Amino acid sequence: MTMQVAYYKGCLASLSAKELDISTRALAPKLGYELLELESVTCCGAGDIHEAEPDYYLHLNARILAYAQDTGADTLMTVCNVCTLNLRQANHQLQIDAALRERVNDNLESVGVSRYEGTVEVKHFLWLVAGESFETLKQVAHKGLKGLKIAPFYGCQILRPSKLLGFEDPDNPDSLERIIAACGGVAVDYPAKVKCCGFPIIQAREDTALAELIQPIEQAMEAGADAMVTPCPLCHLSLDAWQSKLRKQTGKDFKMPIFHLSQLIGVAAGLADSELKFRRHVVSMQPVLDKLSV
Amino acid sequence: MNVGLKIWRYNASTGDRALREYEVDVSDEATLLDTLDAVKDRVDGSLAYRKSCRMMICGSCGMRVDGGAVLACKVRIADITAGGRVPVVSAMGNLPIVKDLVVDMDPFWAKMRAVQPYLTPRYDQALERENVVPQQQMDVIHKESLCINCGCCVSECNSMESDPDFLGPAALAKGFRFVGDPREGAVPERLDRYSAEHGLWDCTRCYFCNERCPKGVDPRDAIAKLGAEAMRHGIDSDMAAKHAKWFVVSAKTTGWLRETELVPKTQGVVKAIKEIKFAMSLLPKGKVPSPFPPHVAAEVHESRELYDLVKQQDRGGALGIVQGEKALSRIEHGHDGSGGERHPYGEGSFATPYLPGQGPEDDPNVVALLETAPSARTAVSDTAAAPLLPAVSDTADGNAGTPVSDTSGEDTKA
Repeated sequence: MTMQVAYYKGCLASLSAKELDISTRALAPKLGYELLELESVTCCGAGDIHEAEPDYYLHLNARILAYAQDTGADTLMTVCNVCTLNLRQANHQLQIDAALRERVNDNLESVGVSRYEGTVEVKHFLWLVAGESFETLKQVAHKGLKGLKIAPFYGCQILRPSKLLGFEDPDNPDSLERIIAACGGVAVDYPAKVKCCGFPIIQAREDTALAELIQPIEQAMEAGADAMVTPCPLCHLSLDAWQSKLRKQTGKDFKMPIFHLSQLIGVAAGLADSELKFRRHVVSMQPVLDKLSV
Repeated sequence: MNVGLKIWRYNASTGDRALREYEVDVSDEATLLDTLDAVKDRVDGSLAYRKSCRMMICGSCGMRVDGGAVLACKVRIADITAGGRVPVVSAMGNLPIVKDLVVDMDPFWAKMRAVQPYLTPRYDQALERENVVPQQQMDVIHKESLCINCGCCVSECNSMESDPDFLGPAALAKGFRFVGDPREGAVPERLDRYSAEHGLWDCTRCYFCNERCPKGVDPRDAIAKLGAEAMRHGIDSDMAAKHAKWFVVSAKTTGWLRETELVPKTQGVVKAIKEIKFAMSLLPKGKVPSPFPPHVAAEVHESRELYDLVKQQDRGGALGIVQGEKALSRIEHGHDGSGGERHPYGEGSFATPYLPGQGPEDDPNVVALLETAPSARTAVSDTAAAPLLPAVSDTADGNAGTPVSDTSGEDTKA
């Protein structure tokens, strides 16, 4: 049975993390989802427009939700932690506060966008896979991961603030662990899996950000991980692309391969190389792929 | 009820650290603090922890349970030992330990002092008559005023762990408590001070502070409000502020983040040139997408028009965040979006309060009485309906704003 969901890919999956978009599109039908395109939506503003122009942030997100509503789907699927928090926060405000919704809707209407009636639920791809599609996942992941040791890295804004996200216990999440196990991998545990990757301040406060970034990578390494997996393209960019900066700063060359969640499941589901696009990663995925091909 | 818990003990004079397990009998309703009292009274009198009010007001008993900061007087021991679990209790993070569960709060207070946690009066206001502030203007800083200085938000702050000089969530939330105060006379100076190195732009948005705060202050949101106010006042020379502004430009022009231009727009051309080697290493992987042709959303003119519209409606700065707080606070009280505007005393909600001898079953008018009371109160403050924040929007050019006590919204904007 196919379920239609509106698909919000966000900025990074459209640009530097195209491999996330490509692998998600390839995987979705196998898991029973038809992704409905949103041609007219914009950036959710990350935390940045929320901070620079908060009222504009609310309107941008209301516009995204209105376009999602127009598809007829009741779920808007995200593939990024930051998009998830931004959209859910705006959605809660619009769903609960009728006066605020009226004002925003009047503005949307006056620029030609449909009024948003509060009918859409924003769900991250991780939550769909670990939730309603978990049984399907077990069938889809037929190729397995050959006991590969995977360190799950959640990132912040899919866990906290839990009153807005609320899929699982923010201090003891297990959705990634369950998915790794269902795909035939072995999840390794380490304390920093729920901490920050440093990405939001990686340009403005590089030293602070790198001191945050090194913790999960180093701990995953010590826990014996062959690779890490994350549901967030910002975490991915930070973990993957900034490893060279860590090497320069600390002399430690981790060479830790980083999976997008859709790629990890994609490998277990037997997606083709052209659907996984590992060559777009900065840190080579080859050592992991070699282990899988033995 | 017999419960077990483990406590990280620490003796500063010997440097000994040890995880000890304890078992005590406590009542079913006991809090963690009650349980610690039982351990200290009956098992080991040398156990050290802070306490005072026992009712979530004094902020003394911040400590960690299984790595997460809590107020010991707020947590029920039955909840954290459910299913035979043995919780691990330890001192808060990001502060030096004095003994067992007691941390040295001096660094915490030093940061509090650094944000000048007292009003800088605008003497021009008070010359003629008492400075009356409408409730609506005080509502802007309601959440930040709830802070009890317990330090739970600081305990897991990821930025402070990596940069111990970071002012941190508690001090910055306190800062907004004064920036948003209509009686404050030095708003631009405060925003300038808080925008310095180790200030508000150090926040990495890990949201641990919001998660941990036992009083609903939501310090990360307060930091965002400070950022919004700083940018509204033109205090935006920090790289992080430029970073944020580029997102706004992107959303207006192409709809999507103009990712490759983000680095020079944030760091400036000179510093960006130094990053070229790094950028070149990412180029072959497609991590530096070409800005040409730009990735443009369909109907992006709507996004641009929305921006213009929103700017005209003048809910800039922190107000844009404050306006959503009413809805978000309802989530904490168990309201979801399904019912729309629910009556706070409606069916299936909290019990209706009533006066002695006037139970709702005796007098149905009591409900009506309670409904009218709040609006009677707000009528007093109707004179200042429009601006929730003091009229400080023009202060970038040195105008300290209009005295709040004269107050109609139209006047302050004029």
